[in-house]
Amino acid sequence: MSVLFISDLHLSPERPAVTRAFLVFLQTRAIKAEALYVLGDLFEAWIGDDDPTDLALQVQKAFAELASTGVALYVQHGNRDFLLGNRFAANTGAVIIGDETVIEHCGHRALVMHGDSLCTDDIDYQRFRRKSRNPIYKWCLRALPLKRRQKLAADWRAKSMAANSNKASSIMDVNGEAVDRVMSKHGVKTLIHGHTHRPDQHYVANGERIVLGDWDSMGWALEMNSAGYKLQSFPLWETEQ
Amino acid sequence: MITFRTNMGDFSIELDFDKAPITAANFLQYARDDFYTGTIFHRVINGFMVQGGGMDSEMNEKASRAPIENEADNGLKNEIGTLAMARTGEPHSASSQFFINVADNGFLNHSGKNMQGWGYAVFGKVVDGMDVIETIKGVKTGYAGHHQDVPVDAIEITETVVSDAYAAL
Repeated sequence: MSVLFISDLHLSPERPAVTRAFLVFLQTRAIKAEALYVLGDLFEAWIGDDDPTDLALQVQKAFAELASTGVALYVQHGNRDFLLGNRFAANTGAVIIGDETVIEHCGHRALVMHGDSLCTDDIDYQRFRRKSRNPIYKWCLRALPLKRRQKLAADWRAKSMAANSNKASSIMDVNGEAVDRVMSKHGVKTLIHGHTHRPDQHYVANGERIVLGDWDSMGWALEMNSAGYKLQSFPLWETEQ
Repeated sequence: MITFRTNMGDFSIELDFDKAPITAANFLQYARDDFYTGTIFHRVINGFMVQGGGMDSEMNEKASRAPIENEADNGLKNEIGTLAMARTGEPHSASSQFFINVADNGFLNHSGKNMQGWGYAVFGKVVDGMDVIETIKGVKTGYAGHHQDVPVDAIEITETVVSDAYAAL
């Protein structure tokens, strides 16, 4: 059996090919895995678990179907879907895991993170991150009327598309010292994260840092099995037609 | 009825001329022209669908006619054993390639007349030889150039038989 890791799908109504590729991935690949980890930014914007849009419902239904077949499902918050909450977890059977979680499967131990907290050189972003993860801020946001939150989400998506903010060149890379620090803190030799949109496997002081890829013209997944880790990219089902 | 003979066995389909008139007529025309003979199932994803109708055994794309209008809003669902048209990301871009659903793929159904929601037009179903499709879906696949999920041993349509009733349409 294997364990799969994905992140940074940035699902949004504006990119249906990515959504369909993701649903195909769940139905054909994840279903054969022991567990699936989504390490943040599954959605481009998540305005609360009461989101009634087709996209939100479709993904929750697909997750619930996957979980019902016995695949363990773990979801981490990203910087774009930090409002994913208990109702989403209950609807899908997914477990929402903390930003620094140590996991053990197939004889491997690894620390999984979204990765945004490692970009410590980006002072402005870290300020936003502190604000967005603040429970009071999250509570206030959730308390806004649905219509208002939908408008906010549409604005965020439009802004991020206009600013190309999902391109790797617009996202600062992780800070090496922050990586060493967090790996030492948890005593791990492997760190798996997303966020930076720079998929790769790096040797670092404590061992190995594996960076997941963002789904855009290609999909990305990391497969872990008893033999080790394999980072793979694949064409989206629809765009290859 | 149209019967496709393949090197893995035969299967037959019926087209839904009432609910998908444009797509069914388009498909029948390709069948009458014997376009599909010599094409392969070039994309096989178990648990999802098997796709063919556009590539020869050398993985060269056959020149097709102009694309047709997407009739995915006809109420037919992408369920096991149904045929739907393959296309690019552009909703109205189907020509000759089709796929057979080997799972209930609800997320391919029409939900709205926009890029996100157009979905994939179902226009017929397998009425005989579904066991052949079940065998095809399980074959070993790999990469062929930049294409993935390509059967290692080619599954080729060797003959297309159009029934008298369909020939008279």
